[in-house]
Amino acid sequence: MLASFKHYVSVASCFAKLAVQRQLEYPLFLVSWLLMIPIQYFSGIWMLKIIVDRFQPLNGWDFPELTFLYGLGLISHGILVVFFINTWHIDNMVINGGFDRLLLRPMNVFFQLVASYVNFIGLIDCIPGIVIFLYGCHIVGFDWSLANIGKLLLVLLGGVLIRAALFIALGTIAFWTKRNASMVGFALSMLERATMYPLSMYPYILQAIFTFLIPIGFISFYPAAEFLGKSNGVLELPLSFALWTPTIGIVCFLLAHWVFRMGMKKYESAGS
Amino acid sequence: MLQAYWYITKMKLLTNLAYRFEVFASVGTNLILMLASVFLWQTAYKGGVGTVQSFSLQDLTTYTILSIMLGAMFVCDVQDTIYYKIREGQIVTDFYRPIPLLACYLADDIGGMLSAMANRVVPLILLASIFFGIPWPSSALSLLLFFPSCLLSYAILWLLSALVGLVAFWVMELGNMGMVKDSIVRVLSGSIVPLWFFPESVQTISKFLPFQYTYQTPLGIYIGNVGTKEALGAMAIQALWVGLLFLLLMAGWKRTKKKTLIQGG
Repeated sequence: MLASFKHYVSVASCFAKLAVQRQLEYPLFLVSWLLMIPIQYFSGIWMLKIIVDRFQPLNGWDFPELTFLYGLGLISHGILVVFFINTWHIDNMVINGGFDRLLLRPMNVFFQLVASYVNFIGLIDCIPGIVIFLYGCHIVGFDWSLANIGKLLLVLLGGVLIRAALFIALGTIAFWTKRNASMVGFALSMLERATMYPLSMYPYILQAIFTFLIPIGFISFYPAAEFLGKSNGVLELPLSFALWTPTIGIVCFLLAHWVFRMGMKKYESAGS
Repeated sequence: MLQAYWYITKMKLLTNLAYRFEVFASVGTNLILMLASVFLWQTAYKGGVGTVQSFSLQDLTTYTILSIMLGAMFVCDVQDTIYYKIREGQIVTDFYRPIPLLACYLADDIGGMLSAMANRVVPLILLASIFFGIPWPSSALSLLLFFPSCLLSYAILWLLSALVGLVAFWVMELGNMGMVKDSIVRVLSGSIVPLWFFPESVQTISKFLPFQYTYQTPLGIYIGNVGTKEALGAMAIQALWVGLLFLLLMAGWKRTKKKTLIQGG
């Protein structure tokens, strides 16, 4: 047991080293991401500031609170992009036969899929996330007590797991259809709009969907509302969201993993 | 001569119409952006805020819907095309063609635009009308002015895109510089939030940049925020930018031919 665990860790770290080296090969590629991602997200929060300044707080969320929420959502996105980006490309692996290679190796396929590409560039997504979040914490006067830090880590863990579960489930579609590339873009824009902006902005039906059907409201909106001591509009649950988010995250992740295994049974190589 | 270009356009149109699933997802993505933005404006106007800086909620809803529509329609793949062809070395065979290369790429993108009109804009407009009512223009005249202004917008966007593509001749590995440009355009063109709401200083600077003339100008005309005279003035500035960028592109293009380095085989 311990030996196999050690083996998996060593393989994962070897994969990681290769992945990082591969990405450092093209410096300008890195520079273009380094420019684009901060521009995208800093301008996003700037747009919110402009709207709040010219109009009014959005459903009672003023600019500091919006910043906190935006940052929290963005950090969990950043972490996902570092560790789970391969789940975006399952269809590619199915089509060009890369997936066959994973099947031939004497290791857990799911582990290989996730571990074989640590997206070093994804750290760039974390930069605006952390900057915006820390700024948000500063202007809402977030209390950095040990309990709060613990809660925050649990929420981030749960948030990343919920996101990963969604992308794994979407990627699995490719085992049946061979194609799903544009679903990723679809899911990304849905996640961005539902986790980085207050969910209470949307009609009740959408809030219900994002709470019960696709529980992405738990990634950042409900926890942020709790941290800031705000009413989230609809959902009252016993216990802290710092417990609900990771629980839901783990359940979703296990479900997605199960779907993935089902899909793998259906998998047939795309040939050649 | 024109037949050759029309053939490229037609082939692109037909290829794009063949990929149904891609279209479905792209319409879905744009729909999400549209719904989310409109709900954002609705929240901003909540509680009986009548007009802000002379904009009603209806104005901004129409503005947003049309902005998403233009975004789906303005296909500027030229930056990626050039980058890809240089990286793969295919640019060689393209240089053999007896017609100007950039014009070929333009014909290609126009094909993309026509197919986008058919399979993205039409469903989006239907869905938008179901959710928020038909986004009427403020008057027949503004609709009439909207179309030429859109054409000029597209010209500006396309030329910017081609200019970014040219950089690939020098650096080979362009990476996602095109996306960097796109994210700047998205903000400064007023495609998400109209520049009229931006701080004064940003608005002043933006007057001297080409970006606001790509989305804000035609959309402002459509919702009737600018009068006829101002609209014509704005279109003159658009035309000026088209001319300027065109000259820049031609100057750059001449040099690239000397710089072309063919990778591989």
